[in-house]
Amino acid sequence: MTLNRNLSSDMNILLVLFGIAALFEILGWLLMGQSFLFNTKRLTIIFLQVSIIGIIAVGVTQVIITSGIDLSSGSVVAMSAMVAASFAQASGGFMMYFGGISDLPVIIPIFIGIAVGCAAGWFNGAITAYTGIPPFIPTLGMLVAARGIAVLYNDGSPIIGLTENFKFIGSGIMPVIIFISVAFIFHILLTRTVYGRRTYAIGSNEEAARVSGINIKSHKVLVYTLAGGLAGLAGVVMCARATLAQSGMGQMYELDAIAAAVIGGTSLFGGRGRITGTVIGVIILGVIMSGFTFLRVDFYYQEIAKGLIILSAVIVDQYRHNRSVSGAS
Amino acid sequence: MTMINFQKAYTNLLSEDRGILLVLIGAVFIFELLGWIMQGQTFIFNSQRLFIIILQMAIIGIMAIGVTQIIIMAGIDLSGGSIIAIAGLVAASLAQTSDNFRAVYPTLTDLPVIVPVLAGIAVATLLGWFNGAVIAFTKIPAFIATLAMLVIARGLARGYTSGKQVSFFVEDFGVFGSGATPIWIFLSLALIFHILLTTTVYGRHNYAIGSNEQGARMAGINVKRHKMLVYSMAGFLYGIAAIIQTSRAETAQSGTGLMWELDAIAAVVIGGTSLMGGVGRITGTIIGVLILGIITSGFIFLRIDVFYIAIVKGIILVVAVVVDQYRHKNSHNR
Repeated sequence: MTLNRNLSSDMNILLVLFGIAALFEILGWLLMGQSFLFNTKRLTIIFLQVSIIGIIAVGVTQVIITSGIDLSSGSVVAMSAMVAASFAQASGGFMMYFGGISDLPVIIPIFIGIAVGCAAGWFNGAITAYTGIPPFIPTLGMLVAARGIAVLYNDGSPIIGLTENFKFIGSGIMPVIIFISVAFIFHILLTRTVYGRRTYAIGSNEEAARVSGINIKSHKVLVYTLAGGLAGLAGVVMCARATLAQSGMGQMYELDAIAAAVIGGTSLFGGRGRITGTVIGVIILGVIMSGFTFLRVDFYYQEIAKGLIILSAVIVDQYRHNRSVSGAS
Repeated sequence: MTMINFQKAYTNLLSEDRGILLVLIGAVFIFELLGWIMQGQTFIFNSQRLFIIILQMAIIGIMAIGVTQIIIMAGIDLSGGSIIAIAGLVAASLAQTSDNFRAVYPTLTDLPVIVPVLAGIAVATLLGWFNGAVIAFTKIPAFIATLAMLVIARGLARGYTSGKQVSFFVEDFGVFGSGATPIWIFLSLALIFHILLTTTVYGRHNYAIGSNEQGARMAGINVKRHKMLVYSMAGFLYGIAAIIQTSRAETAQSGTGLMWELDAIAAVVIGGTSLMGGVGRITGTIIGVLILGIITSGFIFLRIDVFYIAIVKGIILVVAVVVDQYRHKNSHNR
């Protein structure tokens, strides 16, 4: 029964995805005289672009299921990318970050990037859980602080000259494979394990979860830490793909990730959401943005559209919530 | 009646703001001490520096007056900086001289100065009203609605002139940013809204909604209309801030005001306004703005990298909210 309901709610979002794709296909033939969808190059680019946002969105989905929020993801991406890249430089470059450290095995920068993200996430989680302040405040503070650290780390200059092994993580369809694996792992974790049950329990009714013996504080810290770690991983993949790390990376990515999660059916009221929905949500966002570029809509209007999409998704979520509350009583 | 209320406002000023005033004096004292140790000169007894500190904070201060009223109502507004960018550009595009060959509207030059001023303020008020209407009627969390506006208004600002700067203004437009005018505008607005909040029905409704929205509704307050009014009022203040900023910089660009909303929120929270709603004062916000200004300018004085200031501001914001949370818990336990 639960399976059926999950399937049917994902069905709705899938229909939205198909509808939007069909719309752009028709507009493509009308306005540009060519196909939008049946273009393997465009499809590949869409999937590559959404992979980075997708990795972040997997973490953000879990945070939102606990009825939290994380506004720091974009800055954490930049900070992790900078630190990871500084440990991934090939020898012989002329702009070495650490003079003596080069050509390290690829696992070290990956691990360090994820660890930096985890540390930022842990900080977010600890402040949210132990002080009880609204989560958008500490994560807003982290948005500013992590961006500041990313800029300071190399005085605003990019870090270049990465090893071939490190660049491999971002080459070809590697980002898509990493995104799908991450989504699969966390889908299993959320649907099949105690970790998932606790995450949903805290989001639906924190007081009840506390009474039933769940350690709310440590679980929240865990969820935010995982979200930070995923943002760190996204930073690693992103700088590997760009073959350099820059302090301006990932600006506003947190909004895309939140939008993807909410479009995918995750409720900002907590207790409700699925990774499968988020994956579809990320693809919807990617199709819309790529469709706008395809129709040569000005970049500025894409930003405005993104803001309106977030607004509409949250309003629909609110409407659904109101209906389910009045339906229950 | 009015006299008594004024007296009440005055006593509040003295008793409740004493704590933050001590923080301000402490911050000044530390930078003065560090100034003599590290730079061999005074920090505070430099009239030029003092003037610049207050001048720089006047614009953030005007924003913060609007944000204070929103936070008292248990709301939040993250869109201030972006609204300033679009309002500044709209005002600037209508304030250009006719001897400019690349005017945004070649037919609309040399207009009387009131036109750009009203246009800028109107755009900002409209966007503020939109925030309020979305929040009041859809009941979505205020930080999401205004986060969307942050993106939308910034997009509007970039699209308005396709990212190009707008400059060469008529001479009269320079008035608002010259000399100490921004400070006088800031102080007058602070006084007006202090009186509005402490002595009028507008203020009472504001505090009532922030302390207990359900109760306020039961008591017959039109909560939706009041929310729209307060968010529009904040937009109006962002509009004034945009005019001053554009006039002072003698140019408008789409990147203006990036992250200023955070400075304004930090100033408000440092000044003792509670994010839980129902508690807050304009006088506290003024001191909060000064504290933020002293810290920023103190860091520059000690030649500390600007990016450290970003990190410290992030930390200050979080610490101020945590302190507020503990105060809130204590007041509940009592």
